[in-house]
Amino acid sequence: MRHTFVFFILLLLSELSLTGARAADLHPPKQVTAGNGFSIATTGNGDATFYLVGPSDRAKQTVRLGNAIEVAADDVRTAGRYIATVCGSDGCASSAFYVVAAAPAQLSFLVHPSRVPVSAKDAISAVAFVFDKFHNLVLQPVKVDFNVAVKDAPAISRSLPTNNGVAWIRLNATRKGGPAQVVASIGSISEHRVVQQVASDACNLRIKATRKGNSVAVETETVRDCSGNPVPDGTVVTFTATDAKGKTTVDAPIKRGTARVQMRLTGGATISVASGVAMGNEVRIGGTP
Amino acid sequence: MRYLLALLIFAVTLLFVAVGWVTSGGLARAEIRSASTPTEAVQALLADVQSHNWDRAYARLANNKDIDRSAFERDLSGSYRSLRTYSSLEGFDVWPIHAASEQAVVRANLHWSTAVGPIDDVRDLKVEHQGSSWKVDWPSPNLPKVPPQVIPVNYLRWDVINRGPEDDWGEQNVDTPQVRIISMNPVERPDRLIILGEIVNEDTVPAYVNVNATLLDQHNAPMSQEGSFDKISHTLLPKQVSPYRIDFPGIKLKQIKSVRMDAKAMLVPASADPVIEVSGQRMNTDALGKKVLSGELLNESGQPVNIAQTLAVFYDSNGRVIWVSDGYIDQALLPQTPVHFAVDLPDDVAAKVQNYHVTVNHYSSGNS
Amino acid sequence: MISWVAFRRLGLVLFAVLLLARLGPNTAAWAADALPSVQLNADSISPRPIEELTGKNIARDYAYAWQTLAQALDQDRSELLDGYFTGFAKETLSRAVADQKKSGIRVHYIDHGHKVSALFYSPSGDAMQLRDTAQLEVQVLDGDKMVHQEQVALNYLVLMTPAADRWVVRLLETVPGF
Repeated sequence: MRHTFVFFILLLLSELSLTGARAADLHPPKQVTAGNGFSIATTGNGDATFYLVGPSDRAKQTVRLGNAIEVAADDVRTAGRYIATVCGSDGCASSAFYVVAAAPAQLSFLVHPSRVPVSAKDAISAVAFVFDKFHNLVLQPVKVDFNVAVKDAPAISRSLPTNNGVAWIRLNATRKGGPAQVVASIGSISEHRVVQQVASDACNLRIKATRKGNSVAVETETVRDCSGNPVPDGTVVTFTATDAKGKTTVDAPIKRGTARVQMRLTGGATISVASGVAMGNEVRIGGTP
Repeated sequence: MRYLLALLIFAVTLLFVAVGWVTSGGLARAEIRSASTPTEAVQALLADVQSHNWDRAYARLANNKDIDRSAFERDLSGSYRSLRTYSSLEGFDVWPIHAASEQAVVRANLHWSTAVGPIDDVRDLKVEHQGSSWKVDWPSPNLPKVPPQVIPVNYLRWDVINRGPEDDWGEQNVDTPQVRIISMNPVERPDRLIILGEIVNEDTVPAYVNVNATLLDQHNAPMSQEGSFDKISHTLLPKQVSPYRIDFPGIKLKQIKSVRMDAKAMLVPASADPVIEVSGQRMNTDALGKKVLSGELLNESGQPVNIAQTLAVFYDSNGRVIWVSDGYIDQALLPQTPVHFAVDLPDDVAAKVQNYHVTVNHYSSGNS
Repeated sequence: MISWVAFRRLGLVLFAVLLLARLGPNTAAWAADALPSVQLNADSISPRPIEELTGKNIARDYAYAWQTLAQALDQDRSELLDGYFTGFAKETLSRAVADQKKSGIRVHYIDHGHKVSALFYSPSGDAMQLRDTAQLEVQVLDGDKMVHQEQVALNYLVLMTPAADRWVVRLLETVPGF
C-alpha cells in the first residue's frame, strides 16, 4: 500500500513537470506604431525571461508565461524589425514584428542652391524628407505642399505626395533678383528656406572717363545684368587703359552699383572695361590740354 | 698620452673652425677687404651685407656722408614686414661693366633667399677711386614715406557664417562659390610640361580657389598630379579672373593623352580692398638681356601691403594663354606709392605675345 | 600499450579540438572583420543618374558601414560608428550599443551580402536613398547564452549623404517589404 502511494506521488510529480515543460510561445502583433505601448500574448506556464531586441533597444524582464507581456511605449520608439523572445525552462521561442513610423511631425528640407542667377531654369531643387517625432522616416504617402514666394511677384504652389518618405520639386528662378522664400509644409508643420536670386553677368557695361590733370577718373554706369537687376556690390570690374607709357589695369569692385577708378595717364589713352567674361565699351580720352 | 689626446682634440677643433670659416666665405671676405679694384670693392661691400655687418658696409661707401645709415640698412634689409625682411643674401655675382681710372660701373646680381623662394636683384653700382682704394657710391635709398593723412575707406567685406555642427542635417547652408576654368593650354618646354590657363569666379561671393591637374597616359591612367600652388590668385572676388600655372617637371607632351582639370572653391571671408593699380605695363629687355614685362604697382588703399606678388598672363594673337609668369615684390606697397615690378618670360614666347594682363596677389599682416 | 602512431593521432585530434575551441568565441570577430559584399543596381534611380565613381563609392562605403556596424555591436564600441554613420542612424545604433552594454543582451550579425537598389538621388547630389535586401544570420545572446538565431533576408531603407571624403549612412530602417 505504501509502495502504491509513493508510485502515485511520483506519477503526479512527473505529470506536473510535464505540464510545466509545455512549450512557451508568444504572439506579438504583426505591426505596431512607434511610441505606442502594446501587449504580447504568451502561452505556457511558469516563469520565463522575455527579451525584446529592436534597432535601438535591448530589453530583458522576467515574465509569467500564460500572461500577456506589456511592452512600454518607450521600448518601441524606433521604426524597424524587433525580435521578441521568451526563454523558459524548456527552451526559447521567438517571434518578429515591425514597428512603423508614427504620424508626420518633422520635415528635413533640403533646398539648393543658396544662391541662384535670375531666370535660371530648373535651377532650384527642393527635397523634403518626412519624419515622425521619433525621427523615423514616414513611409506612408503624405502630401507635401511646396510654396515659393518672391517679393512683388505671385507665389508658386505645388502639392506632391511623398514616395518612400521623400517629395521633391525643381523650380525656375524668377527674372527678378532678391530673396525667394521656399516653404515645404504638411498641415501645421512647415520648414522655410531662403534662396538668394542674384543678378547674372553684367550686360551692356558702359564707362565714362574724365581727365583731372595727370589722372583720369573712370566710372561705370550702374552695372546691371541683361534683366535689369543691379549686379551685386563687390563684383570686380577690370579697367584697362593704354597710353604712351604702356598699359594700365585696375581691378576695382563695384560699390553702390558702380565701379570707379583714378588712373594716372598722360597723353591720349584708350580705356576699356570688362567684368568676368563680359566686355564693355571702349572710350578714348585726349591728352592734357 | 693624455696630452697627446688633448692636443689632437685642439687641433681637430681648429681644423673645423678653419673649414667653417672658409666655407662661410671668410677667405673670400678676407681677400676682398683690400678693395684694390672696383669689383673687389663691390664684393667687399656685399660680403659685409651678407654677414649683416652694417657698420663696416656703411664705412665702405664712398658717399656715406650723404646717406643715412639706417636708411642704407633698411634699403637692404627691408622694412614694413616686406618680403625683404624675411630674406637673406645667399650670394652674389659681380662683374665690371665699365671702368676708368677714377670711376667704374660694376653690375651685381644679388641672390636673395626668401620665404617664397630665391629672388635675384640686379644692380648697377658706381664705384669711385678714393685714396688708395675703391669705394662704392651707393644710390641714395629712395625709401617711400607716406605723408600724414586720412584716407577714407569704404570697402566691402564678406563674412561667412556656416551651418553649425549641432544644426539639423536639413538646415540650409551657404553653398560653395561657383568657379569655372575658362581656358587651359598645355605648353611643352625643354625640361617640363606646363598647364596654363585662367579661372573665373562666376559667383556673387568671394572664393578661395585652387586648380589641380592630373595627367593621364595613353591608357587613361593617372601618371602625375600637381596643383597651381602659388601660381594663382587664390582669393577671387566675384567675377574676378585669375591666371594659373601648373608645372610638371620632366614630362613631355607626347607622353600624355589628356589632362583632367579640377577646380576647387571654398567660400571664405574676404575684403574688396586694397585696390592695386598696375600701370606703365610694357614689354622690354632687362639689364641681363631677358625679356620682361615691367610696370608699376600703386596701392590705392590706406593700409600697407606687406608682400605683393604679380601674376602676368600672356596671350597670343588668337587670345590663347601662352604663358603665365609671376614675381614677388621684395618691398612693401605703401599707400599711394608706386613700386616697380618686372616678370620675365622666355624669348621664344615673348615673340608670340600679343596681349597680357597683370593681376596682383597681396598679403597684409593682420588681414585675411 | 599505445603505439606511437596512435599517440600522434590522438595528439593531432586534441590539437584540432583545442584550436576549434580557441577559435569558437572569436569567429564572431572574424566575421565582423570581413567586408560584406554589396551589389548596387542603379537602373531605376531618379531624378538624376548616378555618376560611375559615385556608384562605386556608395557600394564601397555602404559595405564599410555594415562592417563597422557589426564590429561596433560585437565590441560594444559606439565610436566605431563614427566613420560611416551620421545623424539619426548613428543615434539609433549608438543607443543600441549603450543598451546592450547595460543589459548584457547582444546582437551579432553574420553578413552574407547585400543587394542594393538606388531609388532616389537628389537633384543637387546631397542625398541618396537606397533599398537593400540583406542576407543575414542574426544571433541574440544573453551573456554567452544564445537565445535566438535565425537566417533571414531583411529589407532596409537607407539614406546616405556625402561627407568630406565618403558617403555616410544617415538612416537605416528595416521595413516589412518594398
